[in-house]
Amino acid sequence: MNIDFYIEADTVIHRLDGRTKILLFLFSFIVLVLFEDPLFILPLALLILLQSSLARAWVNIWRIRFLLIILTISSVIMWNVFASGETHLFWFVDLESLEYSLARTMVMLWMIISGMNLLSTTLNEELVLGMIKLGLPYRVGFAISTSLRMVPTISSNIYTISQAQRSRGLDLETGSIIERIKKYIPLLIPVFISTIRGTNVFGMALESKGFGARDDRTFYLKMEMEKRDFITLAFSIALMVFCLYINFLDFGNIDGLTKF
Amino acid sequence: MLDSIVTIKDLKFRYRGEKELALDGIVLDISKGEFLVVMGASEAGKSTLMACFNGLIPHYTKGTIKGEVIVLGINTANSSVPQLAENVGIVFQDFEAQLFSTNVELEIAFGPENFAVPREEIRRRIEENLEYVGLEEFRHRPPFTLSGGQKQKLAIASVLAMQPTILVMDEPTTDLDPISKQGIFDITNKLRQRDGMTLIVVEHETEEALHADRIALIKDGKLVQVGSAQEILKQVDLLEELGVMPLGIPKFFKNIGETDLPLTPAEGIQTFSKIGWKISDDKYSQLLEKEKLTTQHNEQPIIQCRDLEFTYPNGVKALNGIDLDIYEGEIVAIVGQNGSGKTTLAKSFNGLLIPTNGDVMVNGLHTKEQGVFKIGQKVGYVFQNPDHQIFSELVYNEIAFGPRLRNVPEEEVDKIVKEALEAVGLTGFEEEDPFSLTKSGRQRVAVASVLAVQPDVLILDEPTTGLDYKEQRSMMDMVRRLNEQGSTIIFVTHHMWVVAEYAQKVFVIKDGRILLDGTTREIFAKEEILKASYLRPPHFVQFSNQLGKTFLSPKEMISCIERK
Repeated sequence: MNIDFYIEADTVIHRLDGRTKILLFLFSFIVLVLFEDPLFILPLALLILLQSSLARAWVNIWRIRFLLIILTISSVIMWNVFASGETHLFWFVDLESLEYSLARTMVMLWMIISGMNLLSTTLNEELVLGMIKLGLPYRVGFAISTSLRMVPTISSNIYTISQAQRSRGLDLETGSIIERIKKYIPLLIPVFISTIRGTNVFGMALESKGFGARDDRTFYLKMEMEKRDFITLAFSIALMVFCLYINFLDFGNIDGLTKF
Repeated sequence: MLDSIVTIKDLKFRYRGEKELALDGIVLDISKGEFLVVMGASEAGKSTLMACFNGLIPHYTKGTIKGEVIVLGINTANSSVPQLAENVGIVFQDFEAQLFSTNVELEIAFGPENFAVPREEIRRRIEENLEYVGLEEFRHRPPFTLSGGQKQKLAIASVLAMQPTILVMDEPTTDLDPISKQGIFDITNKLRQRDGMTLIVVEHETEEALHADRIALIKDGKLVQVGSAQEILKQVDLLEELGVMPLGIPKFFKNIGETDLPLTPAEGIQTFSKIGWKISDDKYSQLLEKEKLTTQHNEQPIIQCRDLEFTYPNGVKALNGIDLDIYEGEIVAIVGQNGSGKTTLAKSFNGLLIPTNGDVMVNGLHTKEQGVFKIGQKVGYVFQNPDHQIFSELVYNEIAFGPRLRNVPEEEVDKIVKEALEAVGLTGFEEEDPFSLTKSGRQRVAVASVLAVQPDVLILDEPTTGLDYKEQRSMMDMVRRLNEQGSTIIFVTHHMWVVAEYAQKVFVIKDGRILLDGTTREIFAKEEILKASYLRPPHFVQFSNQLGKTFLSPKEMISCIERK
């Protein structure tokens, strides 16, 4: 079972420098939160989806579709509760609050999608190196990437363990929600224990390979900003400045919206 | 000792929270370029000793330490693990957890990167070490998608890339096929001769220890004996007493009353021709007759595969047209090179994996129609790592889990648990916490919990890996007992002596196909073909093959020889 998000491919996005990809992610973050009006977010969202297409990241987005759907439903409901407007539609939903809830939901979804674009095209090591070159200390970068790489390790553990319990007759597919949650207990304990044991060995292996032995360190991965990086960055910075400017001019807000 | 590279002075260590000393008065000098093998039963203190060479004890693992460990003139207590790592490389027993990079190349690069090795040199080392362990074609794969043996090779390559002066390996080859195992020892030996690398290895496989300069035997944290490989390996009784497997050849000659014991097959042939014994043709044909009777079967096959193919979702085709029949009451071994598809095949037998093409039938019923829940009742599967399945606080509940899931009434559960515990030799352990047991104890709990479902067929994936010789023997004796009581047994293994002494039939898998099948004796007679699939019979079987007959154990051969 493959639970790693990285997609082995050689696309335009893959070829970008790690720093460029991290910055693109951060910029998406900034511009997405600027606007209250979903119509203003829409073009940005389309740009990010274009990036997903170029990066062939659709597989990963499809994989988390259930998460995205649940988030969409709960976020639309929640923002309608926490905001109100002047044009009443039905129940607790007003036109302004509906628009606003759509915008907030899009912000959240597209941040996740943008993150997926990053993870689909960037090796963990590239991510660390990128963060370091952007000024983060090595240990911090390494810690972030370690937590990311725990995901595939733990999920492949979960897979083996669920196979072991299924062959003993554990049926994870049927029953009510409470019953099903109960059924997961036999999986949780071995997962915890093997993860804790694994973490201990991981720590030992890390130190035994000289982690942090010196202040200087080489990186096997090559990272160089090239023309395409500068073009991408120039374009995205220009776009970000433009967005900041129209936001400063008070565009993209919803009139008559009250937030709690 | 002339230039000793490691000096251990009266080392004592006790883990925090433990009462017993894990190491108790170790005195040892290791000279530069030496190949030292450390052997002993489980929990004897081998891994603890290994952790002392690069300062993991006392810096990482806490406890009370007395005495000194001097490595290359540095007292490890005054240094740190990362600092010592420049000279001391260590490969851990748990090969899963020591891999953490996103692809094979970067895994190998990690060590050298930490010591600021220039990029070009790292590239060279990656190429060199990928070639050493034969993982070139996997260079871009994430480590967690590799098979167990491949992970183990990667773990070794990633440490070799640091070019350590001292290489410490804690049971580095448990999951490797015999030829790959030999490959690892050949490479490390080559580096030892070329670069003067010192090699310290914990190993259960005695045949590998033959090439050591010295062997250290350890028991209860104390060194029992340190001596040349020759000297130590001839002490058959002492080894057996310490839970270390003696070599078959000296064991055979000792049991027929010889005093000057040969060790290798070649030496064995020489000695055998000198002394006054010969193989009796009559007795050998009787042995074959008897074997024919016990392996005869007229019954219906219990497991059948027809043109079985299996392709993983990532496109890797693991099984490629398997046809086989396994009959009731057999003990069958599945062997093959690392990554040949053994485990995939075994998982197809109980419906954990459903064929992407072709059929698997259990008692004539298709696994794809029945599913793992129903098939699991007929075919039990014991996973390699017992910690992947144990979750209860009490041994009793762990074993009762399966029957309770199947709604067996409590009174009957009680009876079943008792029987299962008795079968694995754990009667009286009902109220113990399974996690407090040793690895072999936990493995027995795992077997018992599968037995409790009362399957007709029992599949064991690497049942002897990670156990010492005594535990391996008692595990397999237990498996044989279960077979005598009527269970059909299928096991996957890399331990050729286990196959020789316990299996009746063998399937050799190569590249997802069956390369050979037959009785164990037939298979082990075909050394050349086995070699093509990275397998090799134990020394003792090779020795008897060279004498023209195939004997699977010293005991068997002793019953078939007579005075000239």
